[in-house]
Amino acid sequence: MEMVVVAPPAPGRLEDLRRRFFATPLQAVLSLACLAIMVFLVWKLLNWAVFSAVFTTSGGPEACQAAAGACWSVIAARWRIIFFGLYPYEEQWRSALACVAVVVMTVLSCIPAFWTGRRIALVWGAGTSLFYVLMKGGVLGLAHVGEEAWGGLALTLFIFVTTCLIGFPLAICLALLRRSELPWISRTTGLIIDGVRSLPLISILFTFAVVLPFALPQWLQGDKLYRVILGSALFFSAYQAEIVRGGMQGVATGQEEAAMALGMRYWQRVSRILLPQAMRNAMPATINQFVISFKETSLVVIVGFFEILASGNAAYGTGEWRFAYVEVYAFIAFIYFIFVFSLSRYGAFLERRMSVSER
Amino acid sequence: MISTNSTGEPALRIENLDKYYGTFHALRGINLSVKRGEKIVVCGPSGSGKSTMIRCINRLEQHNGGRIEVLGTELNDDVGNIDEIRREVGMVFQHFNLFPHMTVLENCMISPMIVRKQPRAQAEATARLYLEKVRIPEQAMKYPSQLSGGQQQRVAIARALCMQPQIMLFDEPTSALDPEMVSEVLDVMVTLASEGMTMICVTHEMGFARRVADRMIFMDGGDIVEEASPDEFFTSSRNERTRQFLSQVLGH
Repeated sequence: MEMVVVAPPAPGRLEDLRRRFFATPLQAVLSLACLAIMVFLVWKLLNWAVFSAVFTTSGGPEACQAAAGACWSVIAARWRIIFFGLYPYEEQWRSALACVAVVVMTVLSCIPAFWTGRRIALVWGAGTSLFYVLMKGGVLGLAHVGEEAWGGLALTLFIFVTTCLIGFPLAICLALLRRSELPWISRTTGLIIDGVRSLPLISILFTFAVVLPFALPQWLQGDKLYRVILGSALFFSAYQAEIVRGGMQGVATGQEEAAMALGMRYWQRVSRILLPQAMRNAMPATINQFVISFKETSLVVIVGFFEILASGNAAYGTGEWRFAYVEVYAFIAFIYFIFVFSLSRYGAFLERRMSVSER
Repeated sequence: MISTNSTGEPALRIENLDKYYGTFHALRGINLSVKRGEKIVVCGPSGSGKSTMIRCINRLEQHNGGRIEVLGTELNDDVGNIDEIRREVGMVFQHFNLFPHMTVLENCMISPMIVRKQPRAQAEATARLYLEKVRIPEQAMKYPSQLSGGQQQRVAIARALCMQPQIMLFDEPTSALDPEMVSEVLDVMVTLASEGMTMICVTHEMGFARRVADRMIFMDGGDIVEEASPDEFFTSSRNERTRQFLSQVLGH
């Protein structure tokens, strides 16, 4: 006789809910209590942020302060300071365009179709030079604006993107040098990486911004902004180098041997066989490092740069909006969230994409 | 320049080859000469130096003494010589070592394209030809992880052949395979042998050896203990250690 095996029917949604949350009387009570707390908190938050909030500037700060809910008027009144910092008022459209340029550049370089050496170089070259020309001006009839006046979101994005653009290739070089068969190379590199990692980022930024000018000749100093970016890139690369090296250690030794046996030279093996696999292994930790670096850009305030968080301070810092700091920080947190969350989702997309060829 | 004429000097000449791992003497003065088109099967107990010896031939291991000459070019510290020899010597590994991030087709095309500088169309045509030859043309667009062990090893053979090498080295190509997949790989190797490829195979597949080998080499303790034709080797071996090894391999 033929036996027919049938899987038990999947429980319906209601049945599933009952099993998970209302299996015993005690569990039912706990579930209901948690639900009540959650509803209460969400209602409180919505009430503050939406229902009792003031959105228009018409009543001025006083009417706003009197309201029971959030005072979003401060954003309507001060958003230019948050986004553009001290950048001259009439020229702020340039700063906005520069932000768009950086975002477009980043999004383009995230699309696999652009991952050839020439295309990526083109995107980055065009993006950064467009940003630089827009921000700095002095050509094409644009008024000159010095780096000391850059601020807000544009500055945050610029520091983050340049830190990664300089730091990432540097990290790969450091990781390769640390794997060198010559002990004096691998040990020296190890010493540099561990040395940089042992220092707080703030002290590195301070050294590059304030101390370095005493040690360097005038023509080598450059603007403070670029020294700070170099310091930040160095810090980034020290951490990222160890992440990349970890990824390389996960690549089977047979891969290198197979590539050698096929006649590939060192750089061909590194670029075609080792790095693609190592970066795949290192992907989750790499996204993590990008996220941390994005948030760490706020530290440049200690050497006198008004990136987005410091600009937020300035936005509520002047007399009449002094009470509305929660709203300003909530708004800035939201901006950070948008960028960091997109970064994480992109990481998840990459992992899915790469899992096709996983062993 | 490596010459391509099929007569004249041997494909491979090894003289007094010494290899140490630290203080361990892995190869003890090996001498071996292989003619073009000759098929050599190397066997011996594990740790006898068989793999080490063939890995010295394309410099995956660096020898410490003696002389290796491949297709008339001496293998020494000259990087140009090493590159030249590796282009002409294909290798198949026990664990396949396919590149997991590339499709089967890309695995076969990458080296001809970046090492031999072939145009993409030519590399692809060659790759499809050899995938046909190892009887898996329909798997070209898959990734290695989607194939069985036997299929992966056949891709590895095709990948090596795409470089159009003059010598093929096989380092225990069937040892990591499930038993039912061994024959599909051996069949490909038999075909290759019948077409006149110079082959040096480290393997314990004695049926294959009997069918294909021109010469059997038995190694033990880092030394070549016996060198004989297959007939002689399997039926009337003079050496005690060879007889013992054969009784263990063929015993059941």
